[in-house]
Amino acid sequence: MNDDLDTVTAPATATATDEPPRRTYELEETGFREVPKRWRRFYRIWQGEGDTLAPNEVICPVCKVVIRSRRELRPGDRVYCMPCMSRLVVVRNADGGLEAEVVY
Amino acid sequence: MTNVDDSWEPHLLDEDEFIREVQSFTFWFEAVEGYLGDRPYGHDPDLPEAALGEIERDQLVTILCNYCVGETAALEASSGLVRLAATNPSQIFMATQVADEARHVEVFRRRLEDLGVADVDGEIARRANPELSEFRRQLLEFVDAGQWELAVFAQNVLLETMEDTVFRYHATVADPVTAQVLDGVIADERRHLGFGENDLGRRLARYPMRRAELAEVRARLDPLILASFEATYRDLGLSRAEAPELGRSYLEAVERLGLAG
Repeated sequence: MNDDLDTVTAPATATATDEPPRRTYELEETGFREVPKRWRRFYRIWQGEGDTLAPNEVICPVCKVVIRSRRELRPGDRVYCMPCMSRLVVVRNADGGLEAEVVY
Repeated sequence: MTNVDDSWEPHLLDEDEFIREVQSFTFWFEAVEGYLGDRPYGHDPDLPEAALGEIERDQLVTILCNYCVGETAALEASSGLVRLAATNPSQIFMATQVADEARHVEVFRRRLEDLGVADVDGEIARRANPELSEFRRQLLEFVDAGQWELAVFAQNVLLETMEDTVFRYHATVADPVTAQVLDGVIADERRHLGFGENDLGRRLARYPMRRAELAEVRARLDPLILASFEATYRDLGLSRAEAPELGRSYLEAVERLGLAG
């Protein structure tokens, strides 16, 4: 676990000490080219039917791009969608999966 | 600028830094270079033209003429909105949108010329959908009256979200050159519709009483946009039942903004 990453975790998640440590991910380039080079690996195009989200990914509800993180995401985490400039928070949906909600 | 190392990611930026970053000319320039750098006029110049039948070509000309009407409306409106923007990052963002919209008008007009249209202005005037032309008139009225929120809603939420849905569908069935042109436009539209929703969302959180006026505008403009893009679907050869849900993404956006119902 990286200290820098921990510092951006929302308090509710940060204090949940009984949760297992988060998995971390080495992100590869995805072919996404709609943001400056240094940020391209943090996004990818949703491929539609047959595509699945990894534990470090959520879909932006505004522009439908997949947002990726170097760490496993959990409810309360903040993520940014650079392609559409949205600020989002990760939440648990009714099905038990993760999704992102826009924060205005 | 934040240092980039093995643990760094954009989600670590603080919110002000994020806004300054994404609403900057540098961000815009590096982003569009990624997907347009090798595509003058929106497509690979070596991409061969598909042979289109006369009916198919004629329908495509009608569709592109109406894309030109929508994009010209957005070009004229966004250029006026530069002056109305309340913050420097918003003003810079709107300036990048002006450049995007100008490019869209250019690439669609070039495509019309590629398809053999000699008098592009005349063809657009002949084939323009009346509802879309009326939408353009009302949008420009908002801009001329200095009504930022109404104009951003009409342009960046309503028009852009609908265009995004139609362009996405069209790109899946279009000839390869038109599809590449559309892919670049869709990438630009992500920024526009995201800016619109986020800007309005922040404003409505501060001034919730503004929702009533926006809902009124929505009721007036929704039928115009829906009618014009349903016409595009017809030109694409789709029946109403076959057409993708035109308003779905838009309705999701207005629901997030508290403007549904």
